Amino acid sequence: MGKFILQRLFAALVTIWIATIAVTILIHLVPGDPVRIMYGSFQTTPEELEAIRVRLGLDQPIWTQYLMYLERLVQGDLGRSIVGDQPVLDVLLTRFPATLALTVSSLAIAIVVGMSLGFLAAYKRGTWVDVGAMVLAIVGVSMPHFWLGLLLLFLFALQLQWLPVAGGDWRSLLLPALTLGLANAAVLARLTRSAMIDIFDQDFIRTARAKGLPRSIVLYRHALRSGLVPVVSMLGLQFAYLMGGAIVIENVFAWNGVGRLAIEAVLSRDYPLIQGFILFFATVVALASVVIDIAYAFLDPRIRYS
Amino acid sequence: MIHSSSTAELADDLATASAPRKRSFWRALLAGPSGLIGLVIVAVLIFAALTAPVIAPYDPLRMAAGPRLDAPSTNYLMGTDDFGRDVLSRIIYGARLTLQIGVIAVGISLSCGLLLGLVAGYSSGWTERVLMRLVDVLFSFTEIVIALACLAIFGVGLTNAMIAIGIASIPFYARVTHSVVLVEKGKPYFEAAVAAGAGHLRLIFLHLLPNVVPTLIVIGTLGVSTAILAAAGLSFLGLGAQPPQPEWGFMLSSSRDLISRAPWMMIFPGLAIATTVLGFNLLGDGIREALDPRQTDR
Amino acid sequence: MTPDTDAPLLSVRDLTISFGKGRHRNVAVKDLSYDLRAGETLAIVGESGSGKSVSSMALLGLLPRGAATIEAGRARFDGRDLLHLSDEQLRGIRGDRVTMIFQEPMTSLTPVLRIGQQLTEALIEHKGMSRSQAAARGREMLTLVGLDDAPRRMKQFPHELSGGMRQRVMIAMAMASDPAILLADEPTTALDVTVQAQILDLMRDLKARFGTSIILITHDMGVVAEMADRVVVMRKGRKIEEGTVREIFETPQQDYTKALLAAVPRLGAHAAAAEPRQVVDSPSRPGARLLHTHGMSKTFRERGLFAAKAGGTAAMQDVGFDLAAGETLALVGESGSGKSTTGRAVLRLLELDQGVIEIGGTDMRRLSGGAVRKARREMQMIFQDPFASLNPRLSAGRLVAEPMVIHGLAKGRELQDRTEQLFTRVGLEADHMRRFPHEFSGGQRQRLSIARALSVNPKLIVADEPTSALDVSVQAQVLELMLELQQSLGLAYLFISHDMAVVEEVAHRVAVMRRGRIVEIGPRHAVLNDPRHPYTRALLAAVPVPDPTRTRGTLPTLDTSTLPTGPLTEIAPQHMVAS
Repeated sequence: MGKFILQRLFAALVTIWIATIAVTILIHLVPGDPVRIMYGSFQTTPEELEAIRVRLGLDQPIWTQYLMYLERLVQGDLGRSIVGDQPVLDVLLTRFPATLALTVSSLAIAIVVGMSLGFLAAYKRGTWVDVGAMVLAIVGVSMPHFWLGLLLLFLFALQLQWLPVAGGDWRSLLLPALTLGLANAAVLARLTRSAMIDIFDQDFIRTARAKGLPRSIVLYRHALRSGLVPVVSMLGLQFAYLMGGAIVIENVFAWNGVGRLAIEAVLSRDYPLIQGFILFFATVVALASVVIDIAYAFLDPRIRYS
Repeated sequence: MIHSSSTAELADDLATASAPRKRSFWRALLAGPSGLIGLVIVAVLIFAALTAPVIAPYDPLRMAAGPRLDAPSTNYLMGTDDFGRDVLSRIIYGARLTLQIGVIAVGISLSCGLLLGLVAGYSSGWTERVLMRLVDVLFSFTEIVIALACLAIFGVGLTNAMIAIGIASIPFYARVTHSVVLVEKGKPYFEAAVAAGAGHLRLIFLHLLPNVVPTLIVIGTLGVSTAILAAAGLSFLGLGAQPPQPEWGFMLSSSRDLISRAPWMMIFPGLAIATTVLGFNLLGDGIREALDPRQTDR
Repeated sequence: MTPDTDAPLLSVRDLTISFGKGRHRNVAVKDLSYDLRAGETLAIVGESGSGKSVSSMALLGLLPRGAATIEAGRARFDGRDLLHLSDEQLRGIRGDRVTMIFQEPMTSLTPVLRIGQQLTEALIEHKGMSRSQAAARGREMLTLVGLDDAPRRMKQFPHELSGGMRQRVMIAMAMASDPAILLADEPTTALDVTVQAQILDLMRDLKARFGTSIILITHDMGVVAEMADRVVVMRKGRKIEEGTVREIFETPQQDYTKALLAAVPRLGAHAAAAEPRQVVDSPSRPGARLLHTHGMSKTFRERGLFAAKAGGTAAMQDVGFDLAAGETLALVGESGSGKSTTGRAVLRLLELDQGVIEIGGTDMRRLSGGAVRKARREMQMIFQDPFASLNPRLSAGRLVAEPMVIHGLAKGRELQDRTEQLFTRVGLEADHMRRFPHEFSGGQRQRLSIARALSVNPKLIVADEPTSALDVSVQAQVLELMLELQQSLGLAYLFISHDMAVVEEVAHRVAVMRRGRIVEIGPRHAVLNDPRHPYTRALLAAVPVPDPTRTRGTLPTLDTSTLPTGPLTEIAPQHMVAS
């Protein structure tokens, strides 16, 4: 178990390390002069551009740049944004709580709605409940998140006027969380259904039935607990998708998280901010997947006692 | 109630009892509702794209073709937008862009992913470990972040967005290919071919590839959905299609401020995206079922 | 419980079960009737597709719902008809009065629950026991089925136990409620022969102790002879014959039963013969040395994140043997003995850590990739699973022709002709060439594999359990074909098998493997009739005898700590045993 956690932590570190390399290379892949692209619109003279180049270390060989980047990184320095000229890390950390609130509440909605729908469909396999749940799920999977968001906005905020269009409090969190949660619930429902159907076909379920146990015990003690193992193992990926989905949804609902920041950064070619965002995103996703892997290990005795 | 199965013995009994019924692929595809509905939707989309100039009632780009923000009527079945352009015509022309997105993005990711996965899976050893480790890491960055990074490099625009989405999905296709190759490589028929003295090319092209391709057809079809969704998303964020392109995601984004005044501008392009994506999803599911009847309803 | 031999405990009448509906309806069981008397063991035997499992699952309402329909029949037990009870009533009987054990001990226990909970939940449910009462009973049962340290076992999870131990847990679970009937569905098929012998002994012992009636579903006539009082023979969903075990074995009435019994390999049947049965008029005999190996070792290392970890399991340690042209050397052993690894190593399908493999004087391990492929013309392989070892996307003709194409032996018309000849050579029809593997039966597919192996006129064929996935009647035909090919073509076989009776039928020489080492090797009659190594003796003693009049005798207890595993020493001409 301890070994398993160490392994997962190590894998997360490798991910973050590769992210640092990726963001260093990124700026060199930009065709043309990145400094000119970034600062060209600020009416700068060639001398000023050269000074910026030196300040950013872009005149150095790439591996020197990488070492400089790492050195600043361990001091918590991700550089300064071009737009607004603020420390990138501060900007990201200010915006992150909003994104975290959004993703965590959507994950909760996705798990509750998606897993129960998938479980129900698998249990009622072949009946109209199953067909209905799966039609709902495939429609959900096929809907663009942002369209679902706009529809909900149109319905609840504009037509029914139950909820605010935008703002910062929990009531304005409801619509974006619902949008993102429902969209991912559809994915999770499909995954859960196929995992549970696999479980229902297992020999040990037949053993449990042959023991004459009540249906509820067969279902919850034997099937559900075993079925949770593969489903939870997929939650890490689900969280990453949610983080990705949040980038779009934040823009639909004017939710001030890091996702919205990222789009602004790409549109304004604010490379320090883009680099910071990618590294930050990779780190959050990697750490979240470690947490979920540990939860997974607790569910599966084959890992817990190894 | 729970469907219990099946020792090997029971499975044998079942297999013997249900005599082999080999159906042709197309009959199997059209037999299930998924395949049939999916095929119809995709066919309609292709038809619309090919015949857009004939069937579209108006020029999709001409401003003030009609009154601005006109509600759906017999003249303008899906209404007009804030520039007085016919929404229906724009959606019909948008089918061309959508198909282009699907083909280009999936083309890039499928070919690169297939190559990577095949090389990694076939080579084994260090090459495999390093390649797949890298692929796994990139995969965990998620497609949208990789696409954003690519757009940060190339700059925004619909063509760049297609390429970015194509690149962003390579890790996914590489992973799938790799895992299918590993499964096939582990099967005795592959070892039998090695034992018979088959060389690398024969092993790859005659034994591995034909058994990998069906899976790739399925995920490629499903991948068209993902690519269309992603491109619409990027266009919606202003990173993809630029005015006045009749791209569905972009149309949605320009409807945003007019939702209460002109909801049709939001409803119809969204419906077009959702239907198209649903079509490819259903088609992919249908192909999967048709290729492997045992996998039905997994 | 006083056995009342007149009134049957369970009485099944006219049971008919079908799969599918309408046009796709297939009858899996038709008009099956039998009685089970108190205290007896009734064996239901048949080959795959005979409906023997389906009919028994139906009794407990365990058939896949929707897929299978019980069309007719009654099953009288305890004054009630099992086939016409409500789910709830049937549930009360299931796991209490009638219990089951299954074929696959590895997958039949819930992986996320402790043994203790799985063992006691039925007792709490049916007997109304308290947790502690049930736990006490559970510990008692674990001890009874021969598991040590019961309190610790109760806390363990299934993955911590071996297959044999898990099957003991399954039996403990099934017997804990003191059932009237135990339904055992191929209970030992997935187990090694020594473990099988222990489990069968255990079942007999518990039956005597509890007075339980057993319905034993099996395909193995050896197990039938050893366990059954009466036998029902099934084929294609119908009862072919029924009788006491002596009647069935000594005076079978039906041709099918006779053929089935004739096809069963019997250990000791060829004990007197010096060589395998002669099946052609002038057989070629073993000749000059073809294959020489010595010092072969292989350790499978677990992969770490980036590099191979230290340690790992030794699959082969210091394995060596010779094989002459036209000779069969059988590698026998249980799972994990390294016999398959050895077969693959000889073909260089896996890389050895060290050792020598010489074929016709060429050191295989020195050859480069291209040269290895050329050398593979001399040696071919037949695999265990005839379903998986043929590429599903190539036609039978192309599959058989492939080695000839690879080695450039023929093309065009000639290739076509030679492929046709191969098809007829192995007893297939030439117009089957266009078919695909899934259109053939298991036996036919194994014939295809043999044809493919033969196509390049090899000198050596490595046959890895070539008949263990086949029904006995088909197995007999395939073995016959292999003998005939050897004696007319002078082929050498490295014959890998776990089945001592099959080995006795085909081998000239036998090597017994255990945990990656050869512990005994020598001429077949020497090793099988005069085994010197304790493990060989244990292995032979565990083989069930398909003859109800002979008892297997008690199992020798094997003290694994003192087993000799050192270098081989010659104790008789060519007969070598680990010291």
